[in-house]
Amino acid sequence: MTDLQFENVSITYRSSSDRGDVVAVEDVSLDLPAGATLGIAGESGSGKSTLIMSALRLLPKSARLEGRVLLGGQDIRELSFGQIRAVRWAQASIVFQGALHSLNPVREVGSQIIEALEHHSKGTWTTPQKRRDRMFELLAEVNLETSKSSAYPHELSGGQKQRIMIAMALACEPDIIIADEPTTALDVIVQKQILSGLARLVAERGISLLMISHDLAVLSAVCANLAIMRHGRLVEYGPSDEVCLSPQEDYTKQLAGAFPQIGDPESRLNPRTLKPAEVVRAEPFTMTDEVVLEAKNLSVSFDTRRGRERAVRGVDLQLRKAEILAVVGQSGSGKTTLARSLLGLQEVEAGSQLSFAGKALPKQAKALRAFRRKVQMILQDPAGSLNPKRSVYEAVVEGLKVQGIRDQEYERVIGALEAAELTPAEDYLESIPQELSGGQRQRVVIAGALALDPQVLIADEPVASLDASVRGEILSLFLALKKNLGMSALIITHDLGLAWNIADTVAVMKRGEIVEYGEVDRVLSDPQHEYTQELLAAVPRLGSQSLVRNE
Amino acid sequence: MSTPTHDPHSGDRPDRGTGTANQGTDPTNPSPASAKGSAATADANSAKPANPATVDMDEPPAGGSFARYFLRKLGGAATSMVLVIVLGFFAFRMLPGDPVLKIAKERPMSPAQIAELRSQYGLDKPVIVQFWDYLVGIVTGDLGESYVYRKSVSALIGEYLGPTLLLTATAAVIAIVLGLWLGQISAWRRNTLFDKLASSTSLIFWSVPTFWLGLILLMIFGGTLQWLPTGGMITPGLDPWSPAGIIDVIKHLILPVISLVAVVYAQFLMIMRASLLEEMNEDYLTTARAKGLTEDEVRRRHAVPNALLPTVTVVFLHIGGLIAGAVTVEAVFSWPGLGKLTFEAIRGPDLPLLQGTFVVFSAIIIVMNLAADIVYRFLDPRVRRA
Repeated sequence: MTDLQFENVSITYRSSSDRGDVVAVEDVSLDLPAGATLGIAGESGSGKSTLIMSALRLLPKSARLEGRVLLGGQDIRELSFGQIRAVRWAQASIVFQGALHSLNPVREVGSQIIEALEHHSKGTWTTPQKRRDRMFELLAEVNLETSKSSAYPHELSGGQKQRIMIAMALACEPDIIIADEPTTALDVIVQKQILSGLARLVAERGISLLMISHDLAVLSAVCANLAIMRHGRLVEYGPSDEVCLSPQEDYTKQLAGAFPQIGDPESRLNPRTLKPAEVVRAEPFTMTDEVVLEAKNLSVSFDTRRGRERAVRGVDLQLRKAEILAVVGQSGSGKTTLARSLLGLQEVEAGSQLSFAGKALPKQAKALRAFRRKVQMILQDPAGSLNPKRSVYEAVVEGLKVQGIRDQEYERVIGALEAAELTPAEDYLESIPQELSGGQRQRVVIAGALALDPQVLIADEPVASLDASVRGEILSLFLALKKNLGMSALIITHDLGLAWNIADTVAVMKRGEIVEYGEVDRVLSDPQHEYTQELLAAVPRLGSQSLVRNE
Repeated sequence: MSTPTHDPHSGDRPDRGTGTANQGTDPTNPSPASAKGSAATADANSAKPANPATVDMDEPPAGGSFARYFLRKLGGAATSMVLVIVLGFFAFRMLPGDPVLKIAKERPMSPAQIAELRSQYGLDKPVIVQFWDYLVGIVTGDLGESYVYRKSVSALIGEYLGPTLLLTATAAVIAIVLGLWLGQISAWRRNTLFDKLASSTSLIFWSVPTFWLGLILLMIFGGTLQWLPTGGMITPGLDPWSPAGIIDVIKHLILPVISLVAVVYAQFLMIMRASLLEEMNEDYLTTARAKGLTEDEVRRRHAVPNALLPTVTVVFLHIGGLIAGAVTVEAVFSWPGLGKLTFEAIRGPDLPLLQGTFVVFSAIIIVMNLAADIVYRFLDPRVRRA
């Protein structure tokens, strides 16, 4: 078996920009003995990806490595290119974020697995037929049908692609598997399937696992040891239970608190953040009985090549003034379609009734425009929903222009930015999205919605693409908007913790139907429907090490 | 979760994430909601087995059939062709100059003779009748009679099409192979001496006018050095299918092909270079490297197949341009091709011949676009979903 050691590793990127060289990793020493499991947690920019890439010498040419990376006692810097190629995948393989772009889009996934076998036949997979058999064996191992071998990546769901990545990583029987955010972008149920599959395979074969993630709970479900990285440095290291349950460093506490434990009263209606949004109103708004937005018997169908598919089926939903409603479900459950219908962006079936403030949703473009002023949408990826060439001012003012609001334009923009807690607002007006952090971008998107004085915000996964520490800030902002302005919000999410953090009510959606709907405290503490129970059971818990082998 | 779609026809289906929601939900057959069935209920409409571990709720729908795709593209091409045919008739009626008067100017004719010539060409009939005759002619393959050559236009085009195809196809193949090869090496070794030299040389040729380059080549290799023939396609008297004839044709081909290739290969190089650079930072290349592939294999087996996608569309579009470019080259090298024929027809103005060459040129470009669509489908599995 092979062990992996990082000895005082520092990695610097040479950069031609004014910033000079960028230190990505600074003096990190970590040890992964054969058969062990180690998780590295950190946010974007913590250097965790750079560190694991150095294990197989996969860093770009502009990176300079100091210290030693030892794979089976061998300094990988001393290997020739031919030797390192032989080591790659045969001794250590990587499970990339298969759900995203780590598979070649124009090649069948089966042939991508076979390619690894061709390069490292190890005297076993010497003929095309043997390699094919091995590939089918691997697919069976990760619970995929053999027919999936001739699928292209775009024909697979996120979870299936991730399983292909795992099958590929196992192909040449490596001693070490390095998993790079293996469950990011997957929903909880699929996440659990992937994690338990990975944990089982690792345990059965005595493979060592090095996993990185931004989610402490995910890591602690699989790994025996945890390392926390921040700004390229190792902040904390120890057994996962200790690191998660009694963290020593403030930063670890912050990470551990970012994803709340459902049922923990401390995090109920209280997202953990170092920068909570201010509640200025003496008597903060609370949920009322006044219904703002209502859907009755809402159904939506699409014509697809397979015939008519009903994405939303007979949904009844009410959003009251100053209520935060979380609609929870897996990808494909129809929750985004539901949100689009509520905005009047989606044609609904006859018999569906949508009303806003007691009046039916208008059909004419002009009346719809007035309605949309009152109901604003916030999308998931702030990098994608902002035009990269427009300044913050232009982004926020656009809604006002569309709505024909001309008076006090500047004041409205400033007000909206301040309400979104971008202060001092004047400093941000000329910035373009590229110059802002992820959290700041999402605040700009929210400001764009707030500029119109809406009564309702509909947000589709507003924090899913944000770092853990920023997540709390944005959630506390939603909570403050409700308390200060009496705003209602409908938040689409696959994250039950988000509902626990800020929502008053929660609706659990499955296959276009709402299977459970009620107050958050009741639904999440005492779920009635088996699907809700299943969702809750799939949420990884801090320090539980639920999926790790019992050593 | 996002699926990269390069699908140009995404407009006709709902966006991902909503459109794929609720596969297999048939009102008459509600999906069973078993305890473990959340990610895993059988798809009611497809014939897949209900395997709880493998059928995901958000698995994207499978692709459409090739026949359907082909017919749709063929329909599009046919529509363009009809428009071209209609335009081909009316555009040339608007050209200034009366061809009959021009012929009459060259030799003395009485008004009666002129009127007879008019009726012979059918020019005395109402435009709508002429248009009908033209349409019937196109369908039956009769494109009328050339005023200048006094031969059937179809026969003339048939005679001149071969040499043009020989010239442009040779030039196209060489330009594409050269451009794509230089382009991918340039991108892979960007900012190296090779990249800089290849890119700048190609741009210099790109900015040179075709006729000027042709004339210079003619002067040097045909005139001063006398290595190669200066015009035509074959030395008169030789049988083009004899070994000596084939060598002779190749000798005649060299200079016009070089002029054509030199001017156009830059665009193929630049497109290939740009599309490969786009792919350079993609995650799947890291996967390939981590698997232990050599840099060469990473490029050939992973990066280039993806970079070819945007390239193919543009390459096929430019082949059309290449045929248009042949007009100049054929004129410079007196190559007996369609370009030269068109050139003569414009001097006429020889309306039937112009119409004929216009329709043929347009048809070639439409066929090329159709070919691009079909090739694209084979290269990019994502298009197969449309």
